[in-house]
Amino acid sequence: MGANTRLTSLLGYVKADSRHIVAGGVNSLPLAALIVMLKLILFRLLQGVMVLLIISFLIFALLTRAGGDAVSMHENTRGSNETIESIRRLHGLDRPLMERYLNWLAEAARGDLGHSLVLQAPVWSLIRRPLLRTGMSAMVALLIAWAFSLTLGISAARRPGSLIDRLCSVIILLASSTPRLVLALLALAFIYSTPLMSVVGAQTGADAGVLSFRVIPPAIILSVPLLAIFLAQTRVAIREALDEEFVRVARARGAPEWIILLRHALRPAAGPLITVLGLSLGGVMSGSVVVEVVLGWPGLGQLTVSAVQTRDIPLLLGATLTAAAAVMAGNLAADILQRLNNPLLRNG
Amino acid sequence: MTLSESENRGRTAPGENQSAIRNSQFAIRSWLRGRGALLAGAGIIMFCCLSAVFADLLAPYDYSSLSRREPLAPPTTIRFRDAQGRWHARPFIYARLFDPATQRYEEITDRAYPLELFSRGYSYEFLWRFQTDLHLFGTRAEAGVEAPRVYLLGADKFGRDRLSRLLMATRYSLLMGPIGALLASVLGVLIGGAAGYVGGWTDAVLMRAADVMLALPTLVLILAVRATFPPGLPPADAIKLLVIIFVILGWAEMARLARGLTRELRQREYVMAAVSLGCSPARVIVRHILPGAALSLAAQALLILPNFLLAETALSFLGVGLQEPEASWGSLLADVDGKIFKRGHALAEFSPALALMLFVLGARLLGDGLGNEGREREKFQWSEGIEESKEGRKKEA
Repeated sequence: MGANTRLTSLLGYVKADSRHIVAGGVNSLPLAALIVMLKLILFRLLQGVMVLLIISFLIFALLTRAGGDAVSMHENTRGSNETIESIRRLHGLDRPLMERYLNWLAEAARGDLGHSLVLQAPVWSLIRRPLLRTGMSAMVALLIAWAFSLTLGISAARRPGSLIDRLCSVIILLASSTPRLVLALLALAFIYSTPLMSVVGAQTGADAGVLSFRVIPPAIILSVPLLAIFLAQTRVAIREALDEEFVRVARARGAPEWIILLRHALRPAAGPLITVLGLSLGGVMSGSVVVEVVLGWPGLGQLTVSAVQTRDIPLLLGATLTAAAAVMAGNLAADILQRLNNPLLRNG
Repeated sequence: MTLSESENRGRTAPGENQSAIRNSQFAIRSWLRGRGALLAGAGIIMFCCLSAVFADLLAPYDYSSLSRREPLAPPTTIRFRDAQGRWHARPFIYARLFDPATQRYEEITDRAYPLELFSRGYSYEFLWRFQTDLHLFGTRAEAGVEAPRVYLLGADKFGRDRLSRLLMATRYSLLMGPIGALLASVLGVLIGGAAGYVGGWTDAVLMRAADVMLALPTLVLILAVRATFPPGLPPADAIKLLVIIFVILGWAEMARLARGLTRELRQREYVMAAVSLGCSPARVIVRHILPGAALSLAAQALLILPNFLLAETALSFLGVGLQEPEASWGSLLADVDGKIFKRGHALAEFSPALALMLFVLGARLLGDGLGNEGREREKFQWSEGIEESKEGRKKEA
């Protein structure tokens, strides 16, 4: 490659880079990009509805095969057979599977997820606040994980092989191979043996506000495996981005280091980071089940477990579908973010 | 692994001291280089598997035998020096008395009970074949006096030996996790292989399904499916049920990798040659594609193994996996509460968690190591191929 072509290619990078900055703002969405985005949303909505249909039908079908419902769990010893039958009839548990499923579906389509058999309340009213609480803890966990992985990952990527880089490798290995259950139990023991107990108050009272200090322990525990995934990804992505020619150009222009890191390196590195964010949401929801039960954070996971233990099928169905829907919504949000960040994807 | 590959690993230049390379010691050392993690992982996994297989021999007592007078007994102190200050060659223990008022254990130093190797205990079938009642260690029973039980890790709230329960739990957990991972891997490889090989419409549908599966909150779904079955299943049925649920919900990760590998390997010349010779797709996949992908697939199977193990642990922890008195790592962890530091033998109470962590770490190290191995081998094959073609061209010239 001759010196001349080298120079033009570098100039090309400068141009591309500046265009990237000017046109990359969120405000300048052209119409074509909007249509692409709408298509994505519509497609995902359809897909989500299909997935929810499949899940709900499978659970319904398994139920009739297995037998045993909340009525037989709840008042099995007391009450005559006739009483049990009348309760069953009252809740429509004596009808054939398909009819029950279609009835439930028709109600669900109107936004009514049915009535909890054990807690005697509309399912949606039982789910709403736990859903917010789980969302809250997931959010705080993501913030913690991002804050740590970005600072650590960037400093590690700037000096490969340095002490902090090797420290990161150790953190990744340990954080990714320590199960959330173990961490949660350790945290519980730790809280019990310190005065933190009065602040965090694990396992006191069933009800907690959505904005409560009690969110902190579950959020920290949830963030640990995320930290491993994000840190590994940040380190690699930033290191690759720092090797790019536009970073060298920016350095040659004399841009300050923090501008280079935040504007030139982080932007292209954000793509894979958003991808792993989307992929890790399902894991966060799964992990929050155990963490919430151990640390007494009354979220969706705890609700699901109690529905399983009491075999409260309407509540279980509602909670499971809500969890799945929330995760899919989070995935959609991650995909939209991805397209906002990357102009190549944005314009289809 | 052949000698030539270990040379490659040691990165020895061709002319450099050929005789030393042939030296077997050097070969071993250069093979070991960069494989520390792999070996450590393999060691940990081996250790866990061996303790699962020999659980009956290693466990001093039956995992479900109660000792009501010893709830939450702390680990037994093993002594060489008695209360009078005399030293003994054979380790011994003192009997302990539980005081319900103070919740304390007092040692009774009147009489020492010596420990012995290969003592007699409950009878079992060694390796599922030989009837025996020998256990690795225990207290020696003497005429007329019943020896106290020795608890290396203490006892749980029903006075069951925690070490024995941990060993039996290892057996269950190491049965369920790996079987689930193996079957899910097989299903994933079948689906992914089909998608990658056939391509087109099939590929699009299958991979879309895999994406959805990957995104869903698996544990919540597992819980929901488990809830549709009666809660108190017998252990054998519970294991079967859980494995089936795991397989149905866990194939996606493997399918994606298998699909990628299949698509990549399909482009290789030797595969195309096999196809053009008229080999059936099954033969091409089994004889030509699978061998190339095997190491990466095995690495991936090891990396997803902890997911299955942890799902089982979570279910048993929540009380919908194995039922008491059967033990698995999860149901043992259900006994751990917030007061373990206060009772003062936290490490013993936390031992199931440590076992779980150790195994997960081992699987990760081994999986990462195997993955590296696969990439190295790939690199080696490529570089070898390039060398050969260069030499061939020289000869032609």
